[in-house]
Amino acid sequence: MKYCNSLFLVVLLAVPGVFLTQTTKALAESGITSTDIDPVPVRAVICEELKDRLPKNEAIVFSITNGRVYCYTDFDPVYKNTHIYHNWFRRDILTAKVKLSLKPPRWSTFSYISLRNTDKGPWRVEITGPEGYILQTLRFSITD
Amino acid sequence: MDTLLHILSGMRWQDIADITLNSYILFRLYVLFRGTYVLRVLIGIALLWFFQRIAVMLGLIVTSWLTQGIIALAAFIIIVVFRNEIRGVLQAKNFKSIFWGIPQKKAITSIDIIAESAFELAQKRIGALIVLPGKEDLEEFVQKGVSWQGSISKEMIMSIFWPDNPVHDGAAVIQGDRIIDVGCILPLSRREDLPSSYGTRHRAALGLSENTDAIVIVVSEESGKVMLAKGSRPRPIDRGSKLKQKLLEHAGRSGKGLHVYRREKLEIGAAAIVSISLMTAVWFSVSRGLDTLMTLEVPIEYMNRNPAKEIFDTTVNSVNLKLAGSGSLLKTIQPEQARVRINLDKAVNGPNAFTITQDNIELPPGVILKEVKPPVIEVTLDVLANKELPIQVDWVGKLSDHLILVAVRLDPEKITLVGGKQILEDISTIYTEKIPLDNIKKSGKISANLALNPASLKIATGFKNKITIDYVVAER
Repeated sequence: MKYCNSLFLVVLLAVPGVFLTQTTKALAESGITSTDIDPVPVRAVICEELKDRLPKNEAIVFSITNGRVYCYTDFDPVYKNTHIYHNWFRRDILTAKVKLSLKPPRWSTFSYISLRNTDKGPWRVEITGPEGYILQTLRFSITD
Repeated sequence: MDTLLHILSGMRWQDIADITLNSYILFRLYVLFRGTYVLRVLIGIALLWFFQRIAVMLGLIVTSWLTQGIIALAAFIIIVVFRNEIRGVLQAKNFKSIFWGIPQKKAITSIDIIAESAFELAQKRIGALIVLPGKEDLEEFVQKGVSWQGSISKEMIMSIFWPDNPVHDGAAVIQGDRIIDVGCILPLSRREDLPSSYGTRHRAALGLSENTDAIVIVVSEESGKVMLAKGSRPRPIDRGSKLKQKLLEHAGRSGKGLHVYRREKLEIGAAAIVSISLMTAVWFSVSRGLDTLMTLEVPIEYMNRNPAKEIFDTTVNSVNLKLAGSGSLLKTIQPEQARVRINLDKAVNGPNAFTITQDNIELPPGVILKEVKPPVIEVTLDVLANKELPIQVDWVGKLSDHLILVAVRLDPEKITLVGGKQILEDISTIYTEKIPLDNIKKSGKISANLALNPASLKIATGFKNKITIDYVVAER
């Protein structure tokens, strides 16, 4: 159990670093480059719920019985009033596109989807900037 | 009348050529084999076939089975039994004569020589036995002596029967203008009603003429008389012109030649008409018999595809052709005889719709296309492209309530796929096969295959289909 907890901690610490790397790669792949005044994501996770405006039970597999799945994103710095999008894809089909406002100097925001029985399968959330470039991609699955 | 006009108006030039060609083949077979037993046997086989059809109609199982067996062996029987007649036709000196012209039975000049020689032999009291075959093969009855194969001449005949010649006692067989064999031994007639003056030569002549359609000229050494054996009747001949007359009759060009000549012309003309009528009837029964419908599933063949483009998808791989024609034609049709071809030379990348028309379909002659299902097919073409895609695990089942799957690491994280450019444009993730969660109790590592969808996608060289999934679970 102790080993598991240590590993969990390592994963949590490693996640922001991995996310930043993925963000850079995603920008390069999309062909759209972020500008200096774009918001910078420091944390983006999928979780079961939000408690005190913070993510709880971050995971990559969610049971349909949870009822909801949240995508939490934290940006620091945010240079000006702007907005981002949370694009929810089931397999490669866009099922929800949520516009979220960001305000300087730092801003956390989230979106969620309510789960139905037909939503089982692999999902991804693409977090895009106001111009449509992908800041980050989060992958997870909805199961029984 | 209207029906007949309708049928005739629907005939193509190929149909006319078909009937003409086969009628001519039948007519030539008659011309080449007329007078021989081959033709009679062929007629017999035709009657046997007719009998077999009746037996089938009446439900006579064994009879129809036996006649069918005999007919099946008929070709073999004809070749074996009539090998000599067939060889005679095929070994014709002039190959053109097989395809053209009416063969003359004998040359008149050789008849003159034979008649003159016979009476000169008689005058000199030299015994002789000359066989002139008819249409039947003599091999069964004549014991061959010495093969001669010489051109006929009076001097030659005289020398053959000259008493000092070793073969003078045998018979000489003359065919056309050639002496074929000499010193041949003929079967002796066993008749008891023959005159006592008849010797062995006379009996030998009658022995052959009684059994075949050949005629035999006998020159008696003792009496110096000439006798002609035809059938079972010996005919004394007292002058050369009479012998010539008889020989001409045997050759089909007697003194009553004009009549015979006309009769022969009539016979040939009738044979030609019968050949045409028979072939027309056969053609109509085969190609314009009772209308039958059948459906044939035919695979679609694609041609003239740009090598840079690949076929990635088709709505169907085969079409159903509803065909009409005579029952006998449709029964014999093989799937490979019907072809459906789509020309892809103008096809573009992406979906292409093709309407299948008569131009796309190749059918055996006489078979009519009624319907094509489906009438339109869609073919998706694309150029090959590579794309690097992220891999995502497709989890299924249920994880224990007290566990959370918090992280996963894939090796490799991305893979390059090869496939249609347009297909790849619509794909942004490649998923694994379904991985069940039910048995996961702690963190671990598993390997899984990738689920390539559509199946036309391929993994690029250098990549493996299997990936390693390193997952981390935590207690809630």
